[in-house]
Amino acid sequence: MSTTGIIIGREYGERVKKKSFIITTLLMPILMLALMAVPAMIALWGSQTGKNIYVVDHSGVVGSRLVSDEDYTFTLTSLTPDSASNTENVDGVLIIPAGIIERDAPVEYLTDEATSISLESALTSRVADIVEQERMAAYPDLDVEKIISSVHADISMKTFRTDKDNEQGSSGLSYILGLVLTMMLYMCLLLYGQMVMTGIIEEKNNRVLEIVVSSVKPSRLMLGKIAGIGLVAVTQIAIWAVLITVISAFVIPAILPQSIANEVSMFNSGNLDPTQATIDTDLLQALGMLGDTGYLINLFAMLLAFLILGFLFYSSIFAAIGSAVDNIQDASQLQTFAVMPIILGIMFSMSAIADPTSSLSVWMSMIPFTSPMVMMARIPFGIDPWQIAASLAILLISTVAMIWLAAKIYRVGIFMYGKKPTWKELIKWTRYK
Amino acid sequence: MNILETHDVCKVYGDRKVLDDISVSVPEGTVYGLLGPNGAGKTTLIRIINHITAPDSGTVLFNGRQLTQDDVAHIGYLPEERGLYKKMKVGDQAVFFARLKGLSKQEATRQLHDWFDKFDIAAWWDRKVEELSKGMAQKVQFIVTVLHKPSLLIFDEPFSGFDPINANLLRDEIIKLKNDGATVIFSTHNMASVEEICDNITLINGGRNILTGNVQRLRREYADGRFKLVFDQSTDLRAVMEQLQPMANCFNTSTDKRDRNVLALKLTNGATLHDLIDKANSLGSLRGFEEVEASMNDIFINAVGAAQNNQMI
Repeated sequence: MSTTGIIIGREYGERVKKKSFIITTLLMPILMLALMAVPAMIALWGSQTGKNIYVVDHSGVVGSRLVSDEDYTFTLTSLTPDSASNTENVDGVLIIPAGIIERDAPVEYLTDEATSISLESALTSRVADIVEQERMAAYPDLDVEKIISSVHADISMKTFRTDKDNEQGSSGLSYILGLVLTMMLYMCLLLYGQMVMTGIIEEKNNRVLEIVVSSVKPSRLMLGKIAGIGLVAVTQIAIWAVLITVISAFVIPAILPQSIANEVSMFNSGNLDPTQATIDTDLLQALGMLGDTGYLINLFAMLLAFLILGFLFYSSIFAAIGSAVDNIQDASQLQTFAVMPIILGIMFSMSAIADPTSSLSVWMSMIPFTSPMVMMARIPFGIDPWQIAASLAILLISTVAMIWLAAKIYRVGIFMYGKKPTWKELIKWTRYK
Repeated sequence: MNILETHDVCKVYGDRKVLDDISVSVPEGTVYGLLGPNGAGKTTLIRIINHITAPDSGTVLFNGRQLTQDDVAHIGYLPEERGLYKKMKVGDQAVFFARLKGLSKQEATRQLHDWFDKFDIAAWWDRKVEELSKGMAQKVQFIVTVLHKPSLLIFDEPFSGFDPINANLLRDEIIKLKNDGATVIFSTHNMASVEEICDNITLINGGRNILTGNVQRLRREYADGRFKLVFDQSTDLRAVMEQLQPMANCFNTSTDKRDRNVLALKLTNGATLHDLIDKANSLGSLRGFEEVEASMNDIFINAVGAAQNNQMI
């Protein structure tokens, strides 16, 4: 076996045998699916405890017409606002001013907890609806109830991609998938990149390098380390992919209630009328897609391609940084050069998820520093294959260049102790045989 | 034939000249000592020989040719700060290094088990390096260094961290390596070990070569008029010392294995060896006489002291 092979074997073996690796690898997909499943489970089977709101009504009209539902329970009260808010189990007191029907006036809400925008808009829109109805009632010729029920519209949207065999897609689901994939890539680049860096610093610190370079060329040592750690990352992703595919292909159908499973399969075959669905259509679509093994495998293959190239690219930067410093403390400053582009990548990914075809997103998915993450965020939305190919090609070329540069820096850096190398020395070293 | 030569090697760090025209020649099959006070530049020289760092000027020849990266494969290097992965198991680690040096996995494992038994650390095969004491880690490091039988071995401070028993074990192994045909260069502060195993030495101080040569010759050269007189049991050494006072300063008395009285002394200026022996013979029954060679310790202190005095002037 070549020396590089031996190096890769050590880097890989030592890390994969670690308990922490085995535990995180096995627990992560379960944790991820649990995080995805828990909100859905709660929505499906949980009894939501809504807000308990006391209403002090000075208008004499609005309060009695507020209808309680699962989110909000309204109780008319004759207590003063202060004593009402001190009553047990009351989340807030809504005060409706007199004369609100005749003239717009602000309602007041007393509460001892933080309010959200959704709460504020829910309450004001309910009150506004009632006020509008009351005002319309002032025109006795109109049958308000009838008009409202007949004009009420509930529109949902089915999107079809004309460039892709009229495949049905929802941007809501692509949004979530893009987010998850980008985050996975981000985690891997950062965690495993830093693993390369700390590994090199460790070897430099305990002088292992001085022994190893007598039998291995420094550039091969660096590549061996990167490849070994890269294989660990690939192993982890591959195990996750298998686990998630298996769980979604076999476990989810098994635990899903029959009625929902039927809806999912109807939805997948396009026979389901969204207005008839008993659960949220996005959730239906997510469940449908998780059951689509081919789609998952395709996605993971893309993830793997960008992960491998992105990792090689960034880990060579991390390797160069690790070789240039003496300890982790010094490294924390220098590694900004590697961490900043990764963070920029995740930021541009967010905008790419919001608008995957904007020129910013397209460019950022081509530039090698941000391309792995931004492209991964765009792929679930379904983009042109040539864009993916171009992005991969650019990334590949820049990765080769980055590795070459990092190897030069690494050769000089690893044997510099205590003092920073000068440019003159750097040039001299690149020529020293 | 010199396996290794350095010619006028210079190395500057910042504005500090760490090595200043260092030239050494290491004959094949000998043990060569690199001596010098802390910070003299020994480790820098060793790093240059190992191709870890480049000299600013000067050349390094290996077997008469310019040293290249490929030659380094024939050098076994034991760094002063031990180079082992802390979190890796001892056995796995030793096998890893052995395989890097070109041994097969089976061959490495077999040979390593022999070495581990010899060095009495077989029980530590499956322990992590961070659990080892300094001395034990050093044994592992030593084994890793010599396992692939390199023709040139370089040990940086091999004796530091060893108790006397293990230091003896190591010394015997170094002598054995030499007898098997290897060349050994080592840096040390342990002067007793230099006397025991070194053929030649170079003494570096402040980056300069201040003394170089064969150990036996240097010790005689630096003997400096010291002698040992051996008298039989009945001789009263105190009386002898008083009588010899004008021509010699006595600095030590002892008895040898056969219970004879031994007097160590140094000739005073102007006194001749002939007169001293004459006088001693008349004072008691003189049984033996020898010149005392200087210890490496004395040579080290004298040479470095003189060099530092020169610098001050």
